[in-house]
Amino acid sequence: MINKKSKLAGQIIFWLLIVVMFIYLVFPFYWTIVTSLKTENQLIMTPATFIPRDPVTKDISITFQNYGAVFRNDTFVRGIMNSAIVSFSVTVLALVFGSFGAFALGKLRFRGRTFSLYLILSMTMFPQISVLTGLYAVIRALSIPARTSMILSYMLFTLPFTIWVMTSFFKKLPDSLLQAANVDGATSFQAFYMVLLPLTVPAMVTTGLLAFIAAWNEYLFALTFTSIQSSARTVPVAMALFSGEIARQEPFGEIMAASVIVTLPLLVLVYIFQKRLVEGLTAGAVKG
Amino acid sequence: MRTTKVLALCLVLLLAGTFSITAGGQQEAEEAGPITLTVAAGAVGQELVLAKEAATAYMSMNPDVEVIVLETPDLTTDRLGLYLQYFEAQSGVVDIYQIDVIWPGDIAEHLVDLNQYGAASVAADHFPAIIENNTVDGKLVAMPWFTDAGLLYYRADLMEKYGFSEPPATWDDLEMIAEKVQAGERAAGNQDFWGFVWQGNSYEGLTCDALEWVVSMGGGNIVEPDGEITINNPKAAKALDMAAGWVGTISPEGVTGFGEEDARNMFQAGNAMFMRNWPYAYSLGNAPDSAISGKFDVVPLPAGDSGRGAAALGGWQLAASKYSENVEEAVDLLMYMTSYEEQKRRAIVGSYNPTIKGLYSDAEVLEATPFFGSLYDVFVNAAARPSTVTAPNYAEASKIFFSNAHDVLTGKQSGAVAVRNMALDIEDLIK
Amino acid sequence: MSQHRLERSEQKLAMLLLIPSFLVIFLIAFYPLGSVFVTSFTNRTFASSVETETVGFDNYRKLLSLKIMKLEPIFDPDTGLQAIDDFSGEPAYQDPIDLLPRDPFRYKPLREFDLFGTRYVYAATDPKFIQSIEDTLFFTLTSVILETIFGMMIALIMIKNFPGRGGLRVAMLVPWAIPTAVSSRMWEWMFASTRVGVFNVIAQWMGYTDGQFPFLTDASTQIWAMIAIDVWKTTPFMALLLMAGLQTIPMEVYEAAYIDGCGAIRRFTKITMPLVKHTLLVALVFRTLDALRVFDLFQIVFAQKRYSMASFSYYQLIDNKMMGYSSAASVVIFFIILFFILLYTKISGGIQND
Repeated sequence: MINKKSKLAGQIIFWLLIVVMFIYLVFPFYWTIVTSLKTENQLIMTPATFIPRDPVTKDISITFQNYGAVFRNDTFVRGIMNSAIVSFSVTVLALVFGSFGAFALGKLRFRGRTFSLYLILSMTMFPQISVLTGLYAVIRALSIPARTSMILSYMLFTLPFTIWVMTSFFKKLPDSLLQAANVDGATSFQAFYMVLLPLTVPAMVTTGLLAFIAAWNEYLFALTFTSIQSSARTVPVAMALFSGEIARQEPFGEIMAASVIVTLPLLVLVYIFQKRLVEGLTAGAVKG
Repeated sequence: MRTTKVLALCLVLLLAGTFSITAGGQQEAEEAGPITLTVAAGAVGQELVLAKEAATAYMSMNPDVEVIVLETPDLTTDRLGLYLQYFEAQSGVVDIYQIDVIWPGDIAEHLVDLNQYGAASVAADHFPAIIENNTVDGKLVAMPWFTDAGLLYYRADLMEKYGFSEPPATWDDLEMIAEKVQAGERAAGNQDFWGFVWQGNSYEGLTCDALEWVVSMGGGNIVEPDGEITINNPKAAKALDMAAGWVGTISPEGVTGFGEEDARNMFQAGNAMFMRNWPYAYSLGNAPDSAISGKFDVVPLPAGDSGRGAAALGGWQLAASKYSENVEEAVDLLMYMTSYEEQKRRAIVGSYNPTIKGLYSDAEVLEATPFFGSLYDVFVNAAARPSTVTAPNYAEASKIFFSNAHDVLTGKQSGAVAVRNMALDIEDLIK
Repeated sequence: MSQHRLERSEQKLAMLLLIPSFLVIFLIAFYPLGSVFVTSFTNRTFASSVETETVGFDNYRKLLSLKIMKLEPIFDPDTGLQAIDDFSGEPAYQDPIDLLPRDPFRYKPLREFDLFGTRYVYAATDPKFIQSIEDTLFFTLTSVILETIFGMMIALIMIKNFPGRGGLRVAMLVPWAIPTAVSSRMWEWMFASTRVGVFNVIAQWMGYTDGQFPFLTDASTQIWAMIAIDVWKTTPFMALLLMAGLQTIPMEVYEAAYIDGCGAIRRFTKITMPLVKHTLLVALVFRTLDALRVFDLFQIVFAQKRYSMASFSYYQLIDNKMMGYSSAASVVIFFIILFFILLYTKISGGIQND
């Protein structure tokens, strides 16, 4: 009896928690959408309205002019393409290099494992702005084209991340798997990609998604490396170049519309992969 | 051995993949005419269109030159950051830079002395304050393109409603009117109404606003053109204390986080009596769907104890890069873009304030933008920020000034302490 | 003998597998990172032909020198009592500016405090940097702790089977997907100091304020607003990583514990925690590292009212062109980050041991 009651209370708290978290995480995005559907006059009216309303009559009034303006912006539309190419390449490279490295660091015995881990992490321990000048010098010296230079420089933060996360996952896999494969006559490398790698799919999807989004949203490097080659500009740079008709005027509604547009493909991506995120679990097996 | 091969293959494939994806864009950027000139200009809608039209016009006159207009971020620090990366690399990819009025001193060493290319003869036509600002160690490093100055916007309809006939001539008048209108409008039901909005955030904009208060009070120009640091004086302290007194009374508490757009948003929504802002807010406020369209006007900023008002000088210049491969052609284009005809076109089409004195009495210009005539005095007398005399440390000097002023506005220190701190810090910096 | 050969082949394979990563490091990280270290010992000016000189540890001394000095009270000559300061209305003390040393770098007061009835001044040669370290550390510790708690809660919820979880997983990731440059501006707008901002509308509606509260300029709410934004932005990151970590827990272990009658809290501390420890460690390392380097959030929302360590470094480089000084600040950030990482690995018992 008591058990049943406490279970019900537990259920209520569980759902309440979900609702609170959900509001906190989603409300700002809702506000972004509402803002993108307002004209400037609706934006600056007081008090702010939760649904776009006319400043005078207070009737609901929605405008799509911000979206129109965004899609007429060539730099932005091309930016989505560029961002997709760059982020995809970065993610693939980071996952391939990262899983190689992580397997070595997590499952193989050799000297300098800890040192290698720290060395790799140290790539990402400076603020971006302070490595930018040196990086720009390297890129100019090797005359690397804009998109390639973004792909390479984003490895600065995606590679350490994938390696560290994947290493922790490889380490969790029992050593017996590797030994069994060795006994069966497989080389260590075969054991890696035929036995161990498939087991880390959820981890790969997770790190891949996080790395993809990090690359998608990078701004400072992209601004500098694409400044001359404007055809290579990525979405965040294109958005920074949004401006009003007149200097100093900030087209806030358009920026919000653009951010809704760039977020949607990422959400579709997450939806496609979300089942894989929890692949290792038997559904419902974990009881709270 | 097989492992090695697999690995090598992966690497080669991936690298080849990325290079082939990215190779396409590169070629198109390198395609060039006989001479290519690149102009780094703003990304702002109309400004960009005007710049591109100028480029097209120039190309039709000079068929052997191709002009590329490059968009750069509207955010000033981002733009400066980008320029500095080019200068650090001594790169000639950009031939002409659009630069802020406070930059010439700081980046002069990368710019061409335009006097050597015959600019001296034209320079006299421009406002002397800007030419002086752009002259570093006797070298004219940038040509004025368009100018900007702080103005006082006021609600003419509310002036009438509350029985005031003249816009405020002094800060005292402004405080008095603002208080009365604010109280009246709030009693009438608009609880969001405030008397006076301006730029109080801790950024370069506050340097402009605070410099206007200090100069109008007779407190000097922070650092005088001869290098003397004059900010530590009671008049300057009084000016800052005066502004601190507005916060929470006639200006919202949040004004210490306001930039230009925050102030305009409030004024344009009909929630402020007065606003200090740049000329750009004029045409936006008069747009057909604006709540205050036709209900407001602009005048020079009020006078303080000195008996005169002061407006901070803003605006943008064009400069030619020393690292350009075609300096002569670049200067020619630059001189064209800042010429009488070009500035006239920009004034008529986009109400960009010309820097050439003669244009303020040009009939066609005055017809298009009537308020230019009455504000001629404001533009010609605008107070330049001490950027050239403190170069190459202006950014830090300005930061010392605005962050101490901000501390006065937020009540962390008194005006007297602030001006002393400013003087000491600026002395450490430039001595 | 065979064991030895196996080890040698493992060593060789490990080296081969690490080559791509090290190649990347060599190509894009070696020079930029190395030059930050070297530059930090010079007075190099950015984008300038001014001659660069080596200045030893001068930049670090200027960044980090601190001093605490006693302040004498000021007595009113007429009454013989301690005078009252006009501005603050509190007892007056000697002005620290007169007292603090000025050579080779001038010390500037950061704050004053009382201890055992005596007034002291806490001063630094660069109070803005010291302040930025304090702010960034507070920001980092608070937001990382909150993110970890929220992230763990969400992860535990999200691995459950309930209707609509697919949509919820997507919704959960929204904050991480919006570019920071944009979401910071969105939050700045929501925190606006008038009723154009949604928080002022809500606060007024609930009767807390008059709808004019300056969240971003009021000293008591400033940093908390930043923390709210950062927690919102990065909780999904934490949740997603922990979710991946949680699912490697073998279900039999849970089932066994459940049958043994372990309570929920015991199950969490005894089973869940030890098993996600590694993932948690990695997640903490990266969150702390990012939070300590926080840049665009501070640059966009705070302008130059307050700095994070990285935005301080940014303004020193871009505005002041003091490349040497800015690099030294970055090296300080580097070592603070290193300290945290070593601390985490120490607490969790090392990255290599299980």
